[in-house]
Amino acid sequence: MDPSTILKEKVQNGFIVEGLEDMNEEYLQALKQTLIIVGDTELLSIPPLLTVYDQAPTLNNKITALAIMQDEIGHAHIAYRLLKDLGQNIDDLLYKREPHRWKNPYAFDFELSNWIELGVFNAFFDRAGYTLLGDAFEYTSYGPWKRALVKVDKEELFHLRNGEVIMRTAMQDPELREEVQKAVDWMFLMALEFFGVEDRLKSRSAQLEYRLKGRTNDELRQKWLSTAVPFCESIGVKVPAHYDEQQQKYVLDVPFPCKFDPVNKKWLVDQPDTWDNVIKRFKQRGPHNKQFVERIQKGAKELEQLRKDAV
Amino acid sequence: MGKIGSDTKKYWEALKEVMDPEFPISVVDMGLIYDIEKNGDELHITMTYTAVSCACMEWIEQDIRHRLLQENEVQAVQINVVWDPPWTVDRLSPEGREKLKYWGVSSK
Repeated sequence: MDPSTILKEKVQNGFIVEGLEDMNEEYLQALKQTLIIVGDTELLSIPPLLTVYDQAPTLNNKITALAIMQDEIGHAHIAYRLLKDLGQNIDDLLYKREPHRWKNPYAFDFELSNWIELGVFNAFFDRAGYTLLGDAFEYTSYGPWKRALVKVDKEELFHLRNGEVIMRTAMQDPELREEVQKAVDWMFLMALEFFGVEDRLKSRSAQLEYRLKGRTNDELRQKWLSTAVPFCESIGVKVPAHYDEQQQKYVLDVPFPCKFDPVNKKWLVDQPDTWDNVIKRFKQRGPHNKQFVERIQKGAKELEQLRKDAV
Repeated sequence: MGKIGSDTKKYWEALKEVMDPEFPISVVDMGLIYDIEKNGDELHITMTYTAVSCACMEWIEQDIRHRLLQENEVQAVQINVVWDPPWTVDRLSPEGREKLKYWGVSSK
């Protein structure tokens, strides 16, 4: 039996990988790729949140938002710290990588328009993070990551609950109610895209074979829908999805994927799209990708210049 | 936990449904609630937070009000936040302590 099959069988039977000596090259590459996506996603969630945090309605709300951003930096640190142990040069990764090569979701390449969008961001996107990382916490074969996720799991729950509080409170105000609906209209499908290509279009997944995660993309999407849809229904927000009794799962009421107008942050639901085109859109990046990554790199670059000038 | 009169026991129970925003531990098991008094149709809650810099004070107060106002006879909820005595881990209930332990958080 070839070594990669043996490792795959071992991890499927509960073997926990602890270090480089336990893995093969394919496992290492899949793990690194996964952790880069996780670290980038955590870190790049902050620039969009910062675009509206000064619109917080009260000081305590602002402190909550800042506490959330601090958590996200901590989560990013965990992912990058794990990558460092795997031999990755973190300074290069953080400060020398070009903006378009960062692996954060497309949804994070946009400025937010108002405080309500920050709430929906927490309620939808942090829920996606909670769903994905909750799955990793439950199933991942990589021991160091599994142990680090105990804290992350709880903190993401805090973020998504903050989003729910903001949305629920806003729904009681007729004007803000409209803002919630407007935010949900573009952010709902955006959140569903976090989970990636449909299962039927994937030939194989190293992440699943090596048990870096447990559930498939479609299963994770269903899991997200199973809490997001009932929550939205409970507060009176309309979402383009419902539970289908016959199929025993959530189904969408609009084509998914479909085309997106990034300038107006609007889904063109009369124009169904393919996942190939969605991936192309992801790779082209959203409007603020460059600005957001440069903001993260600014301090390090200025310090480097200062050092050069001083010598 | 402060003194529990028979007329306020149900409100202590109700507040066991109000969770800390981060850990699924109630504000009662966290030891945040010092006293509940009933005055006509008004409830007076005396409580504290784990830190003066707690990022979720308004959020928790909103959740407490929301839950208590679900009781038909309650028309108003007054919340008085005090810092004396200060919160320490000694205020955690045995149940709260067990839950934190499960999540890998020390309560010593």
